[in-house]
Amino acid sequence: MSLDLLFSKDCSKAAVLFNSKKRMLEYLSQVAHQHIPHLSEQAILDSLLAREKLGSTGIGKGVAIPHGRLDGIEQTVAIIVTNREAINFDAIDNRPVDIFVALLVPGNQCEQHLKTLAKIADKLKDKQLCKQLRAVTSDQELYQLMVA
Amino acid sequence: MEATFVIQNKLGLHARAASQLAQLAMNFDAKITLYQGEKSAEADSVLALLLLESGQGKEVKVVCEGSDEEGALAAIGQLIAEKFHEQE
Repeated sequence: MSLDLLFSKDCSKAAVLFNSKKRMLEYLSQVAHQHIPHLSEQAILDSLLAREKLGSTGIGKGVAIPHGRLDGIEQTVAIIVTNREAINFDAIDNRPVDIFVALLVPGNQCEQHLKTLAKIADKLKDKQLCKQLRAVTSDQELYQLMVA
Repeated sequence: MEATFVIQNKLGLHARAASQLAQLAMNFDAKITLYQGEKSAEADSVLALLLLESGQGKEVKVVCEGSDEEGALAAIGQLIAEKFHEQE
């Protein structure tokens, strides 16, 4: 699946400002709910929180990939959010995080999920791109960077 | 030194498994590299590990180089054998 099928303009939010892990997860759930209104914000938040309980999705270098499994969606929904300030996210390298790529994954997906993660990893391993993601201030630019 | 392991857990080397592996790798001085087919990844980079797309049943070669390579290889082998502490 190509990245333009995962990401969407309404799920790309640049240069927001939240000051805690909890508030960021709530915001990501809110954005996701607007994209998939048949799932409640609370259900989405619960799935993200359940995953964080197992270990932080802060994978290092200022990037986090909060994700959760949800019944009731046919394909993965991805959300990209950049925060103006890096916040504590209990990341594995203890560095604060300012790039968030949230994924809502259909309940039973395995192989496809690994492919999706690889696609996103391939994108985010590019240091120059991460620099650009941190710099943009419009949602449109952020979206374009992710799907380019 | 090196060894080849088969990924046992159902979900494969997904984000949580990759994070556990990276955290474990960070505890060792040895340079640890994973190989799967033509792809390779530094073990302390979650993004690199995710790019391997190692699903259940895939063979992964782990190469450790450094003073504590023996311990590193054993620890990684154990983590994979224990299915990254997952049920299935």
